[in-house]
Amino acid sequence: MEGGGGGDAFGSATAPLAWHDFLERMRQPSAAEFVKSIKSFIVTFSNRAPDPEHDSVAVQEFLENMEGAFRAHTPWAGSSEEELESAGEGLEKYVMTKLFNRVFASVPEDVKSDEELFEKMSLLQKFIQPENLDIKPEYENETSWLLAQKELQKINMYKAPRDKLACILNCCKVINNLLLNASIVSNENPPGADEFLPVLIYVTIKANPPQLHSNLLYIQRYRRQSRLVSEAQYFFTNILSAESFIWNIDAESLSMDERDFQKKMDLAREHLLGLSASSENQDNQTNLDVREQKSQANQNSDVNLSSKDNLHGPGLDIRRDSDVSDKPVERVQSISDLEKKGAAELLKEDDLYKKFQDYPFLFGRAGDLTVADVEHLLNSYKQLVLKYAALSQGMSVNLETPPVQSMQTVSDLVESEEPKNVKNAVNINESSEGSSKTYDDIKHGTLNSEVDNMTTQQTAVDPSYQKAQQDEATDQPEHA
Amino acid sequence: MGCSSSLPANNAGAVGNINNENSATDSKNLRVKLVLLGDSGVGKSCIVLRFVRGQFDPTSKVTVGASFLSQTLALEDSTTVKFEIWDTAGQERYAALAPLYYRGAGAAIVVYDITSPELFNKAQYWVKELQKHGSPDMIMALVGNKADLHDNRCVSSQDAKEYADRNSMFFIETSAKTADNINQLFEEIAKRLPRPAPS
Repeated sequence: MEGGGGGDAFGSATAPLAWHDFLERMRQPSAAEFVKSIKSFIVTFSNRAPDPEHDSVAVQEFLENMEGAFRAHTPWAGSSEEELESAGEGLEKYVMTKLFNRVFASVPEDVKSDEELFEKMSLLQKFIQPENLDIKPEYENETSWLLAQKELQKINMYKAPRDKLACILNCCKVINNLLLNASIVSNENPPGADEFLPVLIYVTIKANPPQLHSNLLYIQRYRRQSRLVSEAQYFFTNILSAESFIWNIDAESLSMDERDFQKKMDLAREHLLGLSASSENQDNQTNLDVREQKSQANQNSDVNLSSKDNLHGPGLDIRRDSDVSDKPVERVQSISDLEKKGAAELLKEDDLYKKFQDYPFLFGRAGDLTVADVEHLLNSYKQLVLKYAALSQGMSVNLETPPVQSMQTVSDLVESEEPKNVKNAVNINESSEGSSKTYDDIKHGTLNSEVDNMTTQQTAVDPSYQKAQQDEATDQPEHA
Repeated sequence: MGCSSSLPANNAGAVGNINNENSATDSKNLRVKLVLLGDSGVGKSCIVLRFVRGQFDPTSKVTVGASFLSQTLALEDSTTVKFEIWDTAGQERYAALAPLYYRGAGAAIVVYDITSPELFNKAQYWVKELQKHGSPDMIMALVGNKADLHDNRCVSSQDAKEYADRNSMFFIETSAKTADNINQLFEEIAKRLPRPAPS
């Protein structure tokens, strides 16, 4: 156990000022050797094929060695422990922002797990109730839990491990504060893990941030180990255990009847597809019919998922595709048939708006977007295209319309120039965000210009960051 | 029952241990991860809160729940021990997650409620788990909580003490309500921790 600042994951270490200080010092001539080492490490690393175990060890060792070197040389020699800690944070953030595209969800297993976990949570969130997890009624507060969900959903806005970790810790903090308030109101004992973990699991399922599995692995692998200790480690362990619990959720772990659980999962799947109307007939049909209907439903589900319900969703689902093609399917509808059917049913829904509320960008306007949103949007777009193309291929139909236009059909409610504006924003992103062109830059560019780029990026992210820090200032827990 | 009688008689151990073992931190300031196990409702978090709030600094602000707390204890031999206390969810459905929490822990407290034989059985389940999967040199304490409810006692101190002895744990009965034996519990754990060799 080491690392003085580890316990306080919200310390000032990578506050914007400290981050600028780090970049500033790296520009000094005396830091030339450091800059050289960092660049050389990033280049060597980027040229190797992904190997999570090895990659993690390499980064951890590099960070450790560099921190040791900072201690002994200008421009950090003679600095206080706090300043050195802050330099270490700056280094971690710099290196990992550069390596993000290379190491995040870099192996097929991780990508596959992301998709499976995302799908499982999107089904569970349709029917899970607080009591399924032993959340006592006096602690139930779904409306306020939205605040915790929001914190967790920010996790994909950041690239640095510490920033991602901060989203998790902020989420936990909101939950803790809500539990504490509830305990005071209801005159209960102060809440412990018996109360906390179930709410965290519930909030995680409801928030369902895309690529949660990869995010957690990324923090585990690339957050400097000496700083993932104490309170931060505790709450990180809690979300790991929430993930583990969610993977294993079955009827028993929710105290549900087996058949009831299966039925709710099936219903959730259908609901997700807007096919609830046709599902009502299923119970009256013979087993064979039910099976056919189900295979049909599965197919529909994926198509609809990709084209509208799942803008944030994980990409290509090859496993499912092949499952579907194995099954004898009698009535193959074309994509546009399915889309029309789905759209017609959607329009019948009373709470149409509600259906899309999980997709904040759908009703957004170009002016509302921040640079930080762009990466998220771009990822969603890529996944959407891949999934659409793969599903079309899987169903042996030609792509009738490019996916962007199909998005527009889905969302006639959105102004038509939206995609174009998004595209502009993407371009802005590419020119201002150093890390999105990691490889070439490292080879041809200078660190200084990258440093400038990263400064720009940080500025864009600052507002929410500072907000999180202000929150900190007010309800920072005090541990002796 | 009483606290002193249920404490194993090895108080001298603290001084004797100082030069014996290796550990991560320096010899005067120890830091230990302590995990709390026990069914929900046995008062795990109350024990910790009583320990953290009731000691040294009564103004210590505990603004957040008791799932993670840390507290530093000063011992007579002028060493300090910083406890980082990890609470675990005690409901049956979360039992399989416990290994994530006790991995790397230097100490564990297994809590039951003296008014419930069932919870005493559950405590024995946790002890077995820790023996199977925990670190072999983990300090383990068996704690019968709610000792203030002696009129409803269902688990005799004698039985619990014998069980603890057989499993090389130390045993103590506490009341988070009256604060009985709470400090003694943590002091005893602190004394039993392996001391790093002075460098």
